[in-house]
Amino acid sequence: MKRPTALSCFGRGLRQALSKPYLALSLWLIQLLLAAALILPVSNSLHANLDHSPLSDRMIGVPDYGWWETFRRTHPDILGTFGEAAEQLLSTEGIATASIDGLRGIGATAFSLALLAIFLHAFALGGVLGTLREPSSSLVTFGREGMRRLPAFLAFTLAAFVGAAASYRWIYVESGRALRGRVEDLATEGQALAVTALRLAALLVALAAIKLLVDSVRAIWVARPDLPPVSRFLMGIGGALARPRRLLGVLFWYALSTAGLYAIWIVLDPPAGGEARFALVPLILAQQVFVFVRSLIKVGYYAGISEALTRTPSPEYSYVPPAAQAGASGKVEAVDDGALERPTGGV
Amino acid sequence: MLRAKTRGGLLALAALFCSPSLGARDATAPIASYEISCRLDPESETVTGSQLLTWTNPTGRPATTLRFHLYLNAFRNTRSTFWREQSPRRDRRPIPESWGSIELTSLLLSSDGTDLLPAMHFLAPDDGNPDDRTVAQVDLPRPVGPGQTIVLRMEFVSRLPRVSSRTGYKGDFFLVAQWFPKIGVFEEAGWNCHQFHANSEFFADFGDYDVTIEAPARYAGKIGATGVRVSQRQTSDGRVFARFRQGSVHDFAWTADPDFRVLRDIFREPGIGDVEILLLIQPEHLGQAARYFKAVKAGLEGYGRVLGPYPYATLTVVDPPWGARGAGGMEYPTFITAGTSLIAPASIQSPEGVTVHEFGHQYFYGLLASNEFEEPWLDEGFNTYMTDRVLKSVYGDDRCYVSVFGVRFPLGIDIRRPLDDNRRYFAHATEDPLGIPSWKYRDRDSYGALVYSKTALALATIERLVGTPAMDRALRLYADRWRFRHPKTRDFIAALSEVTGRDQQWLFDRTFFSSGTVDYAVIEASSVPARPPRGLFEKEGKLSEGAPPALARAKGYDTRVTVVRNGDVALPVEVLLRFEGGKSYRSSWDGEARWKTFRAERGPRLIEAVVDPDEKILLDTNRTNNGRRPEGDPRAASRWTARAVFWLQNLFDGATVAW
Repeated sequence: MKRPTALSCFGRGLRQALSKPYLALSLWLIQLLLAAALILPVSNSLHANLDHSPLSDRMIGVPDYGWWETFRRTHPDILGTFGEAAEQLLSTEGIATASIDGLRGIGATAFSLALLAIFLHAFALGGVLGTLREPSSSLVTFGREGMRRLPAFLAFTLAAFVGAAASYRWIYVESGRALRGRVEDLATEGQALAVTALRLAALLVALAAIKLLVDSVRAIWVARPDLPPVSRFLMGIGGALARPRRLLGVLFWYALSTAGLYAIWIVLDPPAGGEARFALVPLILAQQVFVFVRSLIKVGYYAGISEALTRTPSPEYSYVPPAAQAGASGKVEAVDDGALERPTGGV
Repeated sequence: MLRAKTRGGLLALAALFCSPSLGARDATAPIASYEISCRLDPESETVTGSQLLTWTNPTGRPATTLRFHLYLNAFRNTRSTFWREQSPRRDRRPIPESWGSIELTSLLLSSDGTDLLPAMHFLAPDDGNPDDRTVAQVDLPRPVGPGQTIVLRMEFVSRLPRVSSRTGYKGDFFLVAQWFPKIGVFEEAGWNCHQFHANSEFFADFGDYDVTIEAPARYAGKIGATGVRVSQRQTSDGRVFARFRQGSVHDFAWTADPDFRVLRDIFREPGIGDVEILLLIQPEHLGQAARYFKAVKAGLEGYGRVLGPYPYATLTVVDPPWGARGAGGMEYPTFITAGTSLIAPASIQSPEGVTVHEFGHQYFYGLLASNEFEEPWLDEGFNTYMTDRVLKSVYGDDRCYVSVFGVRFPLGIDIRRPLDDNRRYFAHATEDPLGIPSWKYRDRDSYGALVYSKTALALATIERLVGTPAMDRALRLYADRWRFRHPKTRDFIAALSEVTGRDQQWLFDRTFFSSGTVDYAVIEASSVPARPPRGLFEKEGKLSEGAPPALARAKGYDTRVTVVRNGDVALPVEVLLRFEGGKSYRSSWDGEARWKTFRAERGPRLIEAVVDPDEKILLDTNRTNNGRRPEGDPRAASRWTARAVFWLQNLFDGATVAW
């Protein structure tokens, strides 16, 4: 039997995401609600400072450097050191945790909301993966499945978050510190950039490994409710270790399609649209369609990971009984088994 | 043409500099001249040298002592003043703990061989730091009378630090600067010889330099220095000797790197002169050589047109290697260091900006040799002002960029010169007044913001107030009058006053020498339909209610605009009221009062009111409040709110992507 490729798994995942668009809609809504918490302070500050200003004309299209610099300087309570933190994050040295101390205003609130986003992420993934395995499902299923798996998924998410943060600190930041003197001693800047690229690559490999491990555990956790929790967890780890190329492939296609989406956004540049008042409506629509499409791809990725782990062959890690495998030749629905899906107890 | 003194020991040196190409046009008589032979030992990072110093007392008083700068002792240990003044801030990249020093091993009076070394001791005239060894004083057996000359034979060993602050080594690369015992400036008030500080630069008298550098043969053809290389010879034992000479300069620096690629170009411009440009560039930056040359030529032309021709025959530009950032962006006579990155998009004007700026120091420091210790704005600030002018005229506005893991990506956001690229001033506007010595600023940020940026903005403001032609005439007068001399701030004020026919001291008191801020704002701009007057009016000799018919037919709008001065400093400003129908009203205000209200009755409707509409007052710390419209326009704020929400949605999604 031909092994499914990463691309086919990702493609099937996307088809599943398209067949259940309310999942992407849920993710979009969660992100919108999180962002909405900051709309009022941002909007009020901008309107108070721009509406009656003659400078507002040149602020419609491209940002005026002088206006933003003054705004940031004269309203430190609004942005705080958010800009510096972002700059450090993208620097060759990396960001130190001490930089969080300086966050104020919107920067600090955004940081807190990002932590809340992690919590909601755990909930949403439980909902997404659970709903994907239901033959007939709805938003109600999403909510139920999300809440049902929240404790376990929250633990996985936090563990992965800690792992990712530790990787950033110990692989990227600390390697930068340790190598700083040697990098300065290198003969050319090209070599120094290569060292930075290697550090970044090591970080990306670590992050990818963490992501694939935790996503594999999540997928198996949902797919094998018949197993005790420890077995499900170990099976998830085993699934990632057994099919690293396929999982990595799905992650690659996910990253590529997301990057492609951003590339299209940058090329089309919707924010550069007209200056008329009504131009705001197409801009907002374009932005939200973008976020929705990106959420669709995200749901497709998780469905693809589930596909990669649970499709035949590799019956040793598949929850699908041998009898069902014969019919699993392409239709997503064929691999679902409602009887096994139903939980036998609390997760 | 150099006018060499023909007195005593100067005769030999004068003969060396008789060629016009080695001297400088319109130079004055030398005061401190050096003939140096030195040997570079790359393995031990040391330079061993001997020098013949010929010094003439330029004052009307006898000199009973001599003072010398021993700059490299700043790197001797962490007790030096230079080291103590380093910022303790965690976000600052620390200076590498690589030690440097300069040791005088012999100091003889050339005339009779008197050993002066036992009479040498160290001084700390600025801060009394007993551990600082950057200034040494020698008591003379006999005073040097006014106009008399003394010749000293000196031997020294200079140990270079890992390059960090304008001097040192990195691998085989050497920037050898502040490396020899250098005599201070003797003035009527006595010796002007400051310690080496974290923020300060240099001050020295003009003289003629004849320097022979010995190095391993791998450096053959890869040594660049102040002046013209007049000879180079290689010996059979694997050594190379390069000899450089330059008249009418006040310092000498050199560099050596076997990896240098040496490129040459010629600048020819009628009225400005012919200059040979020598570029010592790293192989990985060869693709940017044309940008370097273009920037140097832009500087030669831009500065030359305003301040007079560059008087020397050569200019050497050094592109330091990776890991030698501390060697970049520095100026010495006829010799500058710039610096660039492997990935340097043209739109962000690097290396152009630093190249033009360092070239500009050939005027503000090189020819107009002000005291960088005591009045650092005269070189850094004036030069920043001129750099902005030259860059704007040749390259236009700069562009913002974002650095992502060491790679710079330009953004489509203009940085307008000179206002936007000097915005660091606004964050430090009140920290220090400008008129203090370089080492007395609160920290490096304050020093940079005030000495560089505030001066540039103040000069640009003055230019806009007196007009560019007057400013150019003042600069030219100042440059012509003080070429090859040591001007002070008062000399530029005098030049500007002379050109404008008015004492401009007040302008400098309010801009340069004040730590107060300038901020004008329009806080009210209303334009409402005019209403007929109400109340009791005389009609046919009686008081009755209701306005006369002529007044009752109210037309147009009643406009009221209030402008306030939020800042401490008052400068004359203009206020522009723009009305519907293309009408406008412009009024001058001396800006002294705290506020001023402008009213217009039954006129056209006001569109906007703007204080300082031509952006003359570049020192205004907050320009976002300089204008106001009666009618609000929510488009910009709404669009940026929408963008902010979008970015936040992406941020929250990105925050969860890895787990």
